[in-house]
Amino acid sequence: MRRTRILIADSLPIFRSGVRNLLARESDFEVVESSTFDELVREVATDCPDIALVDLELPPRGGVTAVSYLAERCSAHTIVWSFEPSRETVLRAIRAGASGYLHKEISPPGLVRSLRGVVRGEAPLARDLASLMIEALHGLEERDRARERASVLSAREREVLELVAQGARNKQVAAALEISEFTVKRHMQNILQKLGLPSRRAAAAFYRSAYEPEEVLAAAVETA
Amino acid sequence: MTAAEPADAAQRPPLVVVLCRVGLLYEALSPALAGIADVRRLPSDAGDTAGLLRWIRPDAIVVDSQEEADEAMTFAREAKAPLIQVRLRERKLLVLRNGGWEEPENGNASAEAIRNIVLGGLFGRDQ
Repeated sequence: MRRTRILIADSLPIFRSGVRNLLARESDFEVVESSTFDELVREVATDCPDIALVDLELPPRGGVTAVSYLAERCSAHTIVWSFEPSRETVLRAIRAGASGYLHKEISPPGLVRSLRGVVRGEAPLARDLASLMIEALHGLEERDRARERASVLSAREREVLELVAQGARNKQVAAALEISEFTVKRHMQNILQKLGLPSRRAAAAFYRSAYEPEEVLAAAVETA
Repeated sequence: MTAAEPADAAQRPPLVVVLCRVGLLYEALSPALAGIADVRRLPSDAGDTAGLLRWIRPDAIVVDSQEEADEAMTFAREAKAPLIQVRLRERKLLVLRNGGWEEPENGNASAEAIRNIVLGGLFGRDQ
């Protein structure tokens, strides 16, 4: 029987030895290890693993870099794991090419089940992380809609609104864009009218919902 | 109540209890202490850890959370049992010494480092 080759890439020895000892009891896995990105590169150059379990904080540049590297050079299924990831982190890892994301608190039998699932073509994702992903996708949809609404604004109006969203007063907007305060006021009136918003504050909040938060989500929208 | 009575110690290996949220900590530690100690994992956050430890009377305790460390501290002091706190997120070890937490030299978070501290606490001649 061909054994599934698992690469555990984690700088913390506890996790490497924990996974190694755990999988040593299973006849269908073999384990190789790396504690840094450079070691991972050397390991992959020798032989591409079937599955790479990569720590989000793999030194020196983090696990997502390793995921991108593996996605480009190797057919390994990559799973990222960490403590308490944010939804942006999970999205970033998935976008980089990860097949799944797990908590480091995962039970040992749960990890074995997840790895076997990957062999069968499943994408391991902790239940709460799946919820985070759904939330993130809803966030993307809302952002899409907000951006569509914002498309009625002219380029200049968007510039004005961006500064307003950053907290700039009319005088500051006028100085930044080298236009008169009167023109800024006129732009603001047009912005509120076009977007159907009642106030400057509402317009600022609208802009932030469309563009500002979470660069990763914004990037995901662009690539969707 | 004290940890291991001398008579017990002659008949059985030391009991090391691992109170952990991260199950892989136990997976890493268990083989490192194989043949030297009996290592048992207890569920973390099960409630009344101090009471549980008084009943089990382990010879050494390893925990991976501040909450469990606080709970285990009372028993460890009473029984003079080594207590090691593994802070995985911060990648460091802390040992209960003289009533406070100390970071041991070469205390990287590896199974071997934890084993050494446990055995030092159990068998060290300066104890």
